[in-house]
Amino acid sequence: MRISLQWLSEYVDLPAPEELARRLTAVGLEVEAVERTGQGLDGVVAARILSSVKHPDAEKLSVTSVDRGDGRPLQVVCGARNYQVGDLVPLATVGTTLPGGTRISKAKLRGVESFGMLCSARELGLSEDASGLLILPPDAVPGTPIATALKLDDVLFEVNVTPNRPDALSHLGIAREVAAATGTPLKRPAAAPREGGPPAAEAVKVRIEAPEKCARYAARVVEGVTIGPSPLWLQRRLERCGIRAISNVVDVTNLVLLELGHPLHAFDLDKVAGAEIVVRAARPGERMTTLDGKERVLDPDDLVIADRDRSSALAGVMGGGDSEISAGTRRVLVESAWFQPATVRRTAKRHGLHTEASHRFERGADPGMVTAALDRCAALIAELAGGTVRPGVVDAQARPAPRTTVRLRWKRPGQLLGLEVAAGDIRRILGGLGFTERDSDGEGATWEVPSWRVDVTIEEDLVEELTRTLGYQVIPETLPRLALDTPAIAPRLEAQARTRVALEGHGFREVVSYAFVPPQDLEAFEPGVKPVALKNPISAELAVMRTSVVPSLLRTAAFNRRQGRDTSRLYELASAFWPRAGADRDPPAVERPVVAAVLTGRRSPLSWATTGEPSDFHDLKGAVESVLAALGVEAVFEQAGRAVAWLHPRAAALVRSSDGARLGALGEIHPRVALAFDLPRGVLACELDAAALLAASRLVPGYRPIPRLPAVLRDLAVVVDEPVAAAAVTALVREEPLVEEVTLFDVYRGAPLAGGRKSLALAIRYRASDRTLTDAEADAAHARIVERLTRAVGAQLRA
Amino acid sequence: MADLLGQLESLAMGAREASASAADERALEELRVRFLGKKGELSAVLRGMGALPAGERPRVGEVANRVRDQVEALLAARKASLAGAALEAELSGPALDVTLPGRHLAPRGGRHPVTQVREAIVGVFQRLGYEVTDGPEIELDWYNFEALNIPADHPARDMQDTFYVDEATLGPGEQKGDVVLRTHTSPVQIRAMLRAGKPPIRVICPGRVYRSDYDMTHSPMFHQVEGLCVDEGITFADLKGTLAAFARAFFGPGTRTRFRPSYFPFVEPGAEVDVSCTICGGTGKKDGKRCGTCKETGWLEVLGAGMVHPRLLANVGYDPARHTGFAFGMGVERMAMLRFGIDDLRLFFENDLRFLEQF
Ligand SMILES: [Zn+2]
Repeated sequence: MRISLQWLSEYVDLPAPEELARRLTAVGLEVEAVERTGQGLDGVVAARILSSVKHPDAEKLSVTSVDRGDGRPLQVVCGARNYQVGDLVPLATVGTTLPGGTRISKAKLRGVESFGMLCSARELGLSEDASGLLILPPDAVPGTPIATALKLDDVLFEVNVTPNRPDALSHLGIAREVAAATGTPLKRPAAAPREGGPPAAEAVKVRIEAPEKCARYAARVVEGVTIGPSPLWLQRRLERCGIRAISNVVDVTNLVLLELGHPLHAFDLDKVAGAEIVVRAARPGERMTTLDGKERVLDPDDLVIADRDRSSALAGVMGGGDSEISAGTRRVLVESAWFQPATVRRTAKRHGLHTEASHRFERGADPGMVTAALDRCAALIAELAGGTVRPGVVDAQARPAPRTTVRLRWKRPGQLLGLEVAAGDIRRILGGLGFTERDSDGEGATWEVPSWRVDVTIEEDLVEELTRTLGYQVIPETLPRLALDTPAIAPRLEAQARTRVALEGHGFREVVSYAFVPPQDLEAFEPGVKPVALKNPISAELAVMRTSVVPSLLRTAAFNRRQGRDTSRLYELASAFWPRAGADRDPPAVERPVVAAVLTGRRSPLSWATTGEPSDFHDLKGAVESVLAALGVEAVFEQAGRAVAWLHPRAAALVRSSDGARLGALGEIHPRVALAFDLPRGVLACELDAAALLAASRLVPGYRPIPRLPAVLRDLAVVVDEPVAAAAVTALVREEPLVEEVTLFDVYRGAPLAGGRKSLALAIRYRASDRTLTDAEADAAHARIVERLTRAVGAQLRA
Repeated sequence: MADLLGQLESLAMGAREASASAADERALEELRVRFLGKKGELSAVLRGMGALPAGERPRVGEVANRVRDQVEALLAARKASLAGAALEAELSGPALDVTLPGRHLAPRGGRHPVTQVREAIVGVFQRLGYEVTDGPEIELDWYNFEALNIPADHPARDMQDTFYVDEATLGPGEQKGDVVLRTHTSPVQIRAMLRAGKPPIRVICPGRVYRSDYDMTHSPMFHQVEGLCVDEGITFADLKGTLAAFARAFFGPGTRTRFRPSYFPFVEPGAEVDVSCTICGGTGKKDGKRCGTCKETGWLEVLGAGMVHPRLLANVGYDPARHTGFAFGMGVERMAMLRFGIDDLRLFFENDLRFLEQF
C-alpha cells in the first residue's frame, strides 16, 4: 500500500518521515521503501504571463513576457497556445536541467532571445499531458518553486500490509495506527453530503438475492453531474498511489477507496435497466464484458450486480462495460456494499483479476464504513462534478453488521508472553486502538472489537495488540523450563551421516538439484515410467517429480562437462517420488529417500603422481562397498543384466542384502541414456534405497575377539572359464571351515592360457580357533579346496 | 719371551695402521681374518707359546688377550666410523623435490554449502535438546494450509505461490482434498504434534520446500528449518531466549536479535526476527561506506516466529487452555548466503563444481 505523507497529514499530526517509518514498522506495518517526490525540479518556478505576442518569424511560436516574482519581466519564447495572459505557468529558468535531461540555456529562436522555457506537465515529468502549458492554480505566487506551488514535495511510503490487516489499506487506516502509536488525536474527513430533490429511493430499487454473499448493499444517487477531468490535486493523489486518473466521478470513488479503504463503484443510472439493482448469483452460462474489455463466462458461484435484464458488475471485483460511467453520464448511482470475502476471492481468482477492490474485500472490508464511505463519495462527486445528491440512502441491509466481542483474562498476557501487563496498561492500549471495554471483573474484561479490525477474534489476538504496541523489546529473554532430556539420534540420520562421509571419502561431492525434472529425462531413463506430475509447473523443464535422482546427476555431470570438467564425482541424498499403489492417501505419494552417485572421467585427478586411467565399474563399486561397510550392511552383488533399464546390460549389478532384499543398482549407464544426456560412454552411476540400506544395516558393530593362535597362509592360482564369477570361486573357498579369509589378488587372461579362460590368484588364510594349525592340516584343507573347485567350476590348478 | 712380546707389540701396531686405512667393511673383515682368524697373525704368535717355559706363558697369554681386545676394538671403531661416514654421505645426497604436489588417488569430496549450513543450524537446536524430524514433500492441502489456519479462499494463501500436484498422476482412488508440494516446513509441525500425541514436544524439522517463483532471489525449490516447542507454560519470552541463543551460537557471540510484529497465520502473536548485521556488526557502515548487506539498517531479517496459534493446537487435539508453544522458521539458503557472502540464490542449484568446490 502506497501512502502519501502529505495526504496522511490531513488526518493526524506526523513525526519526521524517518521516525514515522520506524514507528509504523514497530507496530507491524513495515515500511519497505521511502520515496521522495518533487525532486529534480530545482530552478522551475511559478511565473505569471504578463503579455504574449506572435513571433515575428515563426507561425507557431509566441513571444511572452513573464513575471517570476522579482519584478523584472523576462522574455520567453513559447510554442503552446493553451494559456491566457494572466495565467500562472511553470518557468524553467536558465541553468535548470529538467527531469527528462533537457538543459535550459539562453537561446535565440528564429532571431528572438528566450531566457528560459515555459513547461508542460510532461516536460516536468508530472504526467503524460503534453497538450500545452501546465496551468497552475490561480493562488500560486510567482517565484515559488514549482514543487511547493504544486505540493509536489511529498514523501511516499510503501507499507507492507500483511493479509490480516485490511484496516490498514487506506490513509485513514494508517492514520488510525499513527494516532494510537503517538497518542495524538485522529481527524476524520467530513462526510455528509448536502441533499436535494426527490428521495433516492424513488430513483432506484435495490434487492439482495444472495444474502449469504452480500451482507449489505447501500446506494446513493447523484443527478445532474458533468463528467470531466478531475482537478489536478485529485489526479496527483491517485497517481502517487499508483492509480490512473480517469474522470471526476470514477476518480472520486478511487480517492475514497484510498482514503477510507472502502471500495465503491459508480454506475450510470440511466443505463440501469428497470432502475433496479439486483445482487445475485450469476446464472449458468451468463456472459459479461468487464471494464478491461474482456468478455467473461460467469460461474454460478460468482456474485454479480445486475439490473432488471443483465449483470453489470462482478461484485467487489470489477465493473462491466455496459453500465460504465461515460462522457455523457448525467445520473450516477454510487454503490457501497459489504461482500463476503471468500466469494470475492474465488471470483477474482477464477477470472484472474486482482483489483484494488477485490484486494480489500477478500481480506475483509470494514462493515462500519459502508455508509460513511458512501456519504463521503456522494459529497465529493457533487462538489467536483456538480449535481445534486438525492436525499437518503437506498440501503438493503440484509443483516446488521456483527459486533464481535473478545474476552481477555488479566493473567493471559503473562501466561503467553512471560511478561505481566497491568490492567491499566491493557485498558490504555486497547482503548487507544478503538476497542471498547464492555464489562470486566476480577478475572478479565470483555472487549468490543472495532468494526474495522476483522482480524481480531480470539484472546490471543488481543494479546498481540498489546505486544505490538508495547514492542517486543520489553519482553524478557528466558529459556523454556523443560524436563532435561536429550533425544537419541535417529538411526536414519546416523546412517545418512555415515553415507555422506563414506562417499565424500571416495571423492564424491554433494549436489542439490530440483526434485522436478523434464518428463523426457525420466522417459529416456526408464521408458514407460509414470511419474507424479505438477498441475502448474514453472516450465516443461520442471514438470514431473523425479522417480530417480540419477537423471539430475547426469544433467549436472553434462553441465559441468560443458564448463570443461570431464571428470566429476557427484552424489545427492534426496527423495524419489512415486504414485501410491495402495488405498492410504496420507501421505499422498510415495517418497523414497535414495543415495545416488555418478562418476565420470578419470579415476584420479590429473597429476604427475597418478596415471590417467578412466574410472570403471569397480571404482564405483568400491565407493558403494564403502557405504555398505560404513552402515554395517552385508550385501551381495549380482549381475543385473537387463533388469535395470538405465544400465548397460554388460556392466550392471544389483545390490542385495544377505536376506535377498534389493538395496539398489550400479553400473555403467546405458548407451541410450548416455546419448540422451549428452554424455560419453563409460559414465557410471548408482542408486541405493536409503530405507532398505537402513533396514539391512548394523550401525553398532558386534565385537569379535582378536585371534591369539597363528594362521597359515597359502596362495592358490586356479584357471577357470571366463563366465565363472569370482564370487562363486571365493564362496567355494569359504566352504572350507578352516578358511578365515580369502583375498582375490590377481586376475590374469592371455598366454599361455587358452582363450575364454582366466586365472584367479587367491591368498588364503587358514586358522583354527582352538589350536595351532599344523602345516599338514593346512595342506589338507588346501587340497580339499582345489578338489572342490575342480569339481564345482572345472578349475585347474595353475602350474 | 721378549721375542714373542715384541711380535705381539708389532701385531698391535700393524693392526692399528691397517684398520685406519681400511676403506670399507670388506677390508675390515679381511683385516679381522688376517689378525684374529684361525690362521691369522695372532694365532701364529700364540702357537710360538708352546716353546716357552711354563712360568712365562701366563704373562704372554695375558698380553695376547689384551692385544686381541685392542684389535677387536680397533676394527669395531673403524666399522662404526665407516658406517657413520656412509650414512652422512647418504644424508648429504640430493634431496627430493618436496614442492611436487601430493598424491591424490581420488578428488576431494565434500558437502553442498546448503547442507553444511543446514547441519550447523540443526546442530545448534540438537544441542538445545530438539529432536530432528521430517515429513513428506508432496503434501496434503490439509497439512500445508488448513491445519495451519490458512483456510481455502484466504488471502494468506497468496503469501506463497503453490505448486499443485495433478491428482490423476497420484494413483487410483479418491484424494483427501488438494495435493501440493509443501510450500514450507510448517506442515511438519502438525505431523510432529500428531505423531507425539501429547506435549511436551521439541522438534526441529529441516527440509526441502517449493514455491512457484523463480528469479535472483527466489528459487522454485529451497530449504527451510522449522522449530516447534509445545508444553505447559511456554512463553514468548522463551521464544526470545531460544532464538537469541541460536543467533549467538550460529552467527557469533556478539550477535543481537530484534523482534518485530508480523503476521503468519499459524502463530499469534507473530514476529519477524532480525539479527545484527554479520557484515558491519550492526553499525550499517563498512569501511566508512554504506553496508550493502543490511542496506545500512544494521539488521538482517532471518527468521519468522511466534506463539503457536491456538487453532493449531486444537486441530491436533491438544488443549489450548493448558498448553502453549512457540514455532519458528528460517530459510537455509538465506543463512548460507549470509555466511558465505553469496549474492545469487541460483548458484546453489546450478551445481557448478567451480562453485561447490569452494566450500
Ligand atoms: Zn550491515
